[in-house]
Amino acid sequence: MSAEATLWLTFVLLGLATTLPRASFIVLGGRVRLPSVVQRALRYAPAAALAAIVVPDVLVVSGDFAPLNPKLAGVIAAVAAAILSRNPWLPFIAGMAVLLGVRALSGA
Amino acid sequence: MPSSSFRAGAREGFRSFLPMSVGLIPWALVTGMAMISTGLTPVQAMGMNVIVFAGTAQLGTLPLIGIGAPLWLIAVTALALNLRFIIFSAAIAQGFRGIGAPLRWYSGHLLTDGVFACCFEKMLAVDDPHWRLGYYLAPSLWSWALWQVFALIGVFAAGSIPKHWSLEFMATIALLVLLVPLARLRPMLVAALSSGAAAILLRGMPLRLGLIVAIVVGIAAGFAAEHWHGKAKTA
Repeated sequence: MSAEATLWLTFVLLGLATTLPRASFIVLGGRVRLPSVVQRALRYAPAAALAAIVVPDVLVVSGDFAPLNPKLAGVIAAVAAAILSRNPWLPFIAGMAVLLGVRALSGA
Repeated sequence: MPSSSFRAGAREGFRSFLPMSVGLIPWALVTGMAMISTGLTPVQAMGMNVIVFAGTAQLGTLPLIGIGAPLWLIAVTALALNLRFIIFSAAIAQGFRGIGAPLRWYSGHLLTDGVFACCFEKMLAVDDPHWRLGYYLAPSLWSWALWQVFALIGVFAAGSIPKHWSLEFMATIALLVLLVPLARLRPMLVAALSSGAAAILLRGMPLRLGLIVAIVVGIAAGFAAEHWHGKAKTA
């Protein structure tokens, strides 16, 4: 299969992996109920998945655990902005400014 | 011609969601830029944006698409990111009583965090199905349009920004900003920290399987923390 075809197949699978959970109970209606244990466990899935993607992305540099890097500084600034301000733009501005600033200062 | 109660519902739904919808704009811009910095062409990027229509799943799977991870791993990761929608879908399901299956499928496809948070109370409380459908579809379609337009702007803006500006870091920030409000709850924070630590420790596993194991570890840790937290309170 060509790379282009694989990519579009990926999009279709992602579309299914989004629409099926969203439509699940709306389509089934009141006929089926989710057990409360399952509901409670599922609440943790998004936080776990987000962290599993983001943490290595920030703390691993070319395969090695290297937490002290410019990305970490950018992340701290972005998280601080997200906690302290309700402005939706500020985390992006603060995070990018600190990342690029620290890189420029360290000459990397 | 839509009934007058459909239009009344649509007006009210749109009015209550409008201020909140501004928050979608940076997401859509960032997602548009992230798709381009992953290496997608503008046509592929907008194809993804229309087919998937889910910021978190798109931003979360782009790094996997970028490194050529296996299809099943990409799909399972998206599913994990989308599991919350099963809960939202179950919570709002009663709001679609008296509405036909095709419209239910379409409404399900359009379900987003913002519209759910904004609409679900009245969806359950109001009797008239026409009113409910309008009340749900107006903010949903507005979100859809905003999402596509601002992603498109992001797609074209990304091309004119130099590579050494590291725009892909915007996607990392976007995922973190989603994580921050979740992590205010103690068990949720435990889930995130455990899953993040596991993802680092297991990064050597083949096929990036460590990602899936880390998500399972995080869910289990959050569940356990909730259990102990509850016990500590009642003791």
